[in-house]
Amino acid sequence: MSHAPRGANKGEAFEMPYSHAIPKPTGAPMVAAAGITLIFAGLVTNWLVTAVGVVMALGGAVAWFRHVFPDEQMEPIPQRAITGDADAASDAGASRGGSVALSSPQGALDREALHQLHHGPRRLALPLEIHPYRTGIYGGLAGGAAMAFVACLWGIVMEGSVWLPINLLAGIFIPGIENAPVEALREVNAGWLLTAAIIHTIGSLFIGLLYTVALPMMPRRPILFGGILAPVFWTGLIWASLGIVNPALEKYISWPWFIASQFAFGLVAGLVISRFNRVPTMQFLSLPERLGVEATNASSEEQSR
Amino acid sequence: MSTLSTGHGASTPAGGGSVPDTRRPGAARDSGRVDLMARLHEWTVTVDHKRLGILYVASGLFFFVIAGIQATLMRLQLVVPVNDFLTPDTFNRLFTMHGTTMVFLVGMPVLLGIANFLVPLMIGARDMAFPRLNAFGFWLFLFGGLLLYYSYIGSAGLYGAGSTPDAGWFMYAPLTTRSFSRGNATDYWILGIMVSGFGSMTTAVNLVATIFSMRCPGMTLMRMPLLVWMMIVVAVLILAVMPVLTAAQVMLLFDRSLGAHFFNPQQEGSALLWQHLFWFFGHPEVYILILPAFGFISEIIPVFSRKVIFGYPLMVAATVAICFISLGVWAHHMFVAGLSPFLNALFAASTFLISVPTGIKIFNWIGTMWGGRIRFDVPMLFATGFLALFVFGGLTGIMLAVVPFDWQLSDTYFVVGHFHYVLIGGTLFGIFGAIFYWFPKAFGCKLDERLGKWTFWIFLIGFTLTFFPMHISGMLGMPRRIYTYQPDRGWELWNLISTIGVPLQIAGVSILVWNIIRTLRRGEPCGDDPWDAWTLEWATTSPPPEWNFHEVPVCTSRRPLWDRKHPEDPDEHYE
Repeated sequence: MSHAPRGANKGEAFEMPYSHAIPKPTGAPMVAAAGITLIFAGLVTNWLVTAVGVVMALGGAVAWFRHVFPDEQMEPIPQRAITGDADAASDAGASRGGSVALSSPQGALDREALHQLHHGPRRLALPLEIHPYRTGIYGGLAGGAAMAFVACLWGIVMEGSVWLPINLLAGIFIPGIENAPVEALREVNAGWLLTAAIIHTIGSLFIGLLYTVALPMMPRRPILFGGILAPVFWTGLIWASLGIVNPALEKYISWPWFIASQFAFGLVAGLVISRFNRVPTMQFLSLPERLGVEATNASSEEQSR
Repeated sequence: MSTLSTGHGASTPAGGGSVPDTRRPGAARDSGRVDLMARLHEWTVTVDHKRLGILYVASGLFFFVIAGIQATLMRLQLVVPVNDFLTPDTFNRLFTMHGTTMVFLVGMPVLLGIANFLVPLMIGARDMAFPRLNAFGFWLFLFGGLLLYYSYIGSAGLYGAGSTPDAGWFMYAPLTTRSFSRGNATDYWILGIMVSGFGSMTTAVNLVATIFSMRCPGMTLMRMPLLVWMMIVVAVLILAVMPVLTAAQVMLLFDRSLGAHFFNPQQEGSALLWQHLFWFFGHPEVYILILPAFGFISEIIPVFSRKVIFGYPLMVAATVAICFISLGVWAHHMFVAGLSPFLNALFAASTFLISVPTGIKIFNWIGTMWGGRIRFDVPMLFATGFLALFVFGGLTGIMLAVVPFDWQLSDTYFVVGHFHYVLIGGTLFGIFGAIFYWFPKAFGCKLDERLGKWTFWIFLIGFTLTFFPMHISGMLGMPRRIYTYQPDRGWELWNLISTIGVPLQIAGVSILVWNIIRTLRRGEPCGDDPWDAWTLEWATTSPPPEWNFHEVPVCTSRRPLWDRKHPEDPDEHYE
């Protein structure tokens, strides 16, 4: 082509999606779609149909996921087409006065270097480093244990029963606990215990993960934020909403002890998370690189080493 | 890094870029016995946008035949007064399933299927942005449709009248509440259409992502073919309105199954709320169905007039304007629902307003044909038929936008005639034109021209006989959805003529089906670019290879193939 195509940025590499390979066929989407349909069909036929649908939908989703991660299953395009690509790309590049880089592991460009070349230094998005996500799990579990310890201590010291705080926590999900007599709340109840354990564990894990993301963004003293300020914030939030979420807990709660348990969580979780080294964020990587579908030159070399 | 593996079903010749022979019509005879199960598996697991597009169209045509049978039965019931060919309940189920099928299982999938096939080719892409999601969307549509039709045998046995939806394709509340709609009929409608709707939404997401991120070098937004513009607008409309319908369906499901009362006026609910939610989806849906047909016509008319499309930027602007205005006209379906005069006036005005960009398009198509060297091949016949019929349907639409006129004719056969002129005269003629125009690209050979002309004229005559008299019987006061009528109303002649048109339409469609089968079996290859066209899909082989293009195309103007054919006089100097 001898005509300059407008609309392609001058000097920037053009990357044609699927330039060397096309997606391999898979039946996973069909299985997932059939599963979803059966889930709905079960609503007007029989719950077993829904059950089968759930299994099929999950199976299809897993197969679909594995078809794409960690490496997308592809079929190569015959060499002649690739050569054609290169020719056409050269044409296009020449006509634009720039070079055209095709998407290939060998020819992949360092995106950051390319960006700096054409646009100067990239504006950075803070934080540049974060704690690994797994530290959120450790911190959440440790903080949750500390919080549970303080809460149970309140139960023993103030109410004479270690089970009272546990049963009150279960009241978030189990209806009728708010109307139960206090004697019943002081007794052990396997169902309530299990419910409270699930609520507490899941909640602690989520808050721990939140800490992992949020702590690096805090100015200077993350422990101050994580251990003191954040608990103050969400204690206020809980104070305002507890009457709706868990009326039983509101009836019995001791706010000083409650705040102490929040501080225990915040401090322990913050300390545990901050003990781990930070890792750089992936803000300079493209989406395929973040997903592990493609690799940068650097990471390719590391892998080859 | 991608994991590469070799071959599946349609193997690629080493070093070759051509399509396997078995994918060409008539090649089956040459290559000997084809393993049917292998071919079936190949089509079942495909993520190739072209095959999925063909699957969409084939499934849509299958449902089209079913909906046609339903319509035929209805016309047979109405051919004479006081007819007892069908029971009232069966008639209700037939018009409900006919409307639902035509809108959700014929119109949308066929149009999205053609878009699926064409959009990546037209923008110079290798595939859709999300190939697997594309397959997922198709299967959701198909299984949703099958779930809806399972209602025939779902809970009341075979021939199961007791479980087929019967409250109209719009499912007005409170007719659909548990008190008035017992059994699971309405639930099947809700769930089937919901699943199908998920499929439409995934396809819409895919189209948006594909068009915005997969264009070849040089393919700026203002160089995209008009069909691609229409499809991006359609995708946006689908994403804007389908979730509203889905939400309304969930609310209705809650009403019916969980004791909620969103739509029950006796328990502080609102029947009008359903109408608002449904028509907020329902009227943009009309544009979802007609805009792709506008796109087909916008591609066909220039090629067969041998002229560049007249007023490309204005056509784009009109398309976008239609998109936005169409979101604000829904209450013209509710002029007789008791809204305030102010609201009626507002929606009447917005309905008048939307005729402006539509009119711009009509004049631009006529402007394209003006002074051109017109070739009346079959696609162009359907395009000109579209122009005439759609203008007529549009004009009766403007009449119905006048509130006092609508008060007189709402829910009469005049309305039935109007929207069939728009949706058959518009959408279906556009689809037929598209099938004849792009069939060579999909299968490598042209449909028979003579049979195509027979299809056009017979179907046109049958269509006119069926739907034009409806305007007259409507003005004479014949209500919609009645299963029979008394002989002293003056409607007999018009209903007789309407029913006489039906076998002609059946004949026209049958000839088309025969033409397709015959061509697939014995068609002669016609080359890659049989119409001497100008857009990128004609720059590759017919049928295209799985990767679409041997070279990455480079777009230099709105007619890249013209530039390649005429380097001495490229279009970019004139744009």
